[in-house]
Amino acid sequence: MPARNGKIPLVKAALPLFLILLASCREEPIVRVKSPKETPVAAAAGTAPAAVRGPRWKTPKGWKERGADGMRAATLLPPGGGVEVTVIALPGDVGGELANVNRWRGQIGLPPLEEAGLAEARQTLRSRLGDVSLYEFTGGGTVKTRLAAGVLRLGDTTWFFKLMGPDAPASAARPAFIELLKGLHGDAL
Amino acid sequence: MATRSEPKAWVKKLGGVELTLVCLALLMALVLACTLAQVKLGTELAMNAVMRTFIIWWRPEGWSFSLPVFPGGGLVGGVMLANLLARLSYLERSRRKAGIWLVHAGLVVLFAGEFASALLQVESHMPIEEGQTRDYAESFRLMELAAVDAGDPAFDDARLIPESRLKKAKELRDASLPFTLKVHAYHDNAELTMRRPGDPPSPATAGMGTNLVFRPVAPVTVDDQANTAVALVEPVAPDDRSYGVFLLSNALGAPQGFLHEGRPWRLSLRPRRYYLPFSLTLKDFRHDLYPGTDIPKNFSSLVRLKDPASGEDRDVLIYMNTPLRHGGLTFYQASFGKEDTLSVLQVVRNPGWTLPYLACALTALGLLWHFGVMLGRAVKESRA
Repeated sequence: MPARNGKIPLVKAALPLFLILLASCREEPIVRVKSPKETPVAAAAGTAPAAVRGPRWKTPKGWKERGADGMRAATLLPPGGGVEVTVIALPGDVGGELANVNRWRGQIGLPPLEEAGLAEARQTLRSRLGDVSLYEFTGGGTVKTRLAAGVLRLGDTTWFFKLMGPDAPASAARPAFIELLKGLHGDAL
Repeated sequence: MATRSEPKAWVKKLGGVELTLVCLALLMALVLACTLAQVKLGTELAMNAVMRTFIIWWRPEGWSFSLPVFPGGGLVGGVMLANLLARLSYLERSRRKAGIWLVHAGLVVLFAGEFASALLQVESHMPIEEGQTRDYAESFRLMELAAVDAGDPAFDDARLIPESRLKKAKELRDASLPFTLKVHAYHDNAELTMRRPGDPPSPATAGMGTNLVFRPVAPVTVDDQANTAVALVEPVAPDDRSYGVFLLSNALGAPQGFLHEGRPWRLSLRPRRYYLPFSLTLKDFRHDLYPGTDIPKNFSSLVRLKDPASGEDRDVLIYMNTPLRHGGLTFYQASFGKEDTLSVLQVVRNPGWTLPYLACALTALGLLWHFGVMLGRAVKESRA
């Protein structure tokens, strides 16, 4: 509608202001960004960081190893992608065996275990540094997720070796992971 | 000289010098109030509370609502802009007054520039270590929840959820997220401690947060203090399987993870990132002192700028008062750390950054013109 007497109707004059106000009230969107992985500080393969004296291992053939990154003493990558093995050392028993097992089960969407179910879930592997407790679980979903975690107590420190990934590639990497746990040794070897 | 009809009384009043003087006095009071407020609130919050607002609000102790107590910088600036424009509407259009016109136009541009800065300017910073490459800047105060699909060995595929959404929503669903994120709590600032025997159980049921407890505290705003934000977030699969409640905080360095449909996901609460279409690599940071003293002489960062879009790949030296301007951003040397191996660059996006320069040029030109006119008149009068 043309303006009368050369004056701009109030509604039209207020429209840009209304649109600015409307835009400013809009919810901020969730943004998706794909960026190259940040490179962690390099460390020697097959060993924990210098500050933490701990076990040594033989990196399975064809696996890649990344050095320490944040809380991780090392990250091992089996061939084929999709699966990773993390090595973490923490002081004490980190809340106890049951709490840790239930934390892992939670990570793949499984309900917690009762104390009675813990012994049933546990397997024991012999290494040169002592017994390694092994727990293995498979989660739900369209693509099943497999988790295998080895726990080794060395003095006041607990070492966690955890393999996680989609069921098929994680199952393929499992034998080499078990050999890695069995082959854990100290500095003298 | 162009003849103009007499302006209406209200226009004359609006463009009057009396109003200019009132506005200038109010601005002086605001500058003083803003300076004093910075001690308690910090620079950014004081600017927002006093200058970049139309009304200054005050909430008396124990009241649930605030009272308007003084016009803010936005209102005073707006009235002053109207004052200038009203004045221009009836200012004589002649060569004799062209200088005055230019001075007024310069001031109008200056005010417009400040409004543009208040609305559009985004400030962030980029801490960068020697040898490190960065393609993002971080917010000083705002946080974001990053849910990252880390399944690709070369790339991180992140969904970035702004703090404002975490504060409002109880459940976050998005087409790009293959699960729902339930937000149980979000606190701007909290005291985070290791859980001791006898402490109540942590609200977290997954990740490292199970060993932590927190107590919400009032957020800090002063420049040299940082908030420890805390979020309790529970990822839930479409078939209602819960991956547990994660306690996320910017104070916890490493992200926490779970596996969904066979892919590893990492959750972290971190300062909001502003990704750039180019990258900077810090080659060298210098902190020069005057010989025999601890008095700084110079701070400088030698960076490698790589911009795939423009094909630029060059070294740039950023030092005090000599920033890098690239891609609509300005990088200033702001701070340093880690025994002079870390440089902190302040990153400013201000689409209106040229306006103050234009305003100064117009004002200077106007003053010179007016001086010329007055000088010419004086010479003429002295000869007569």
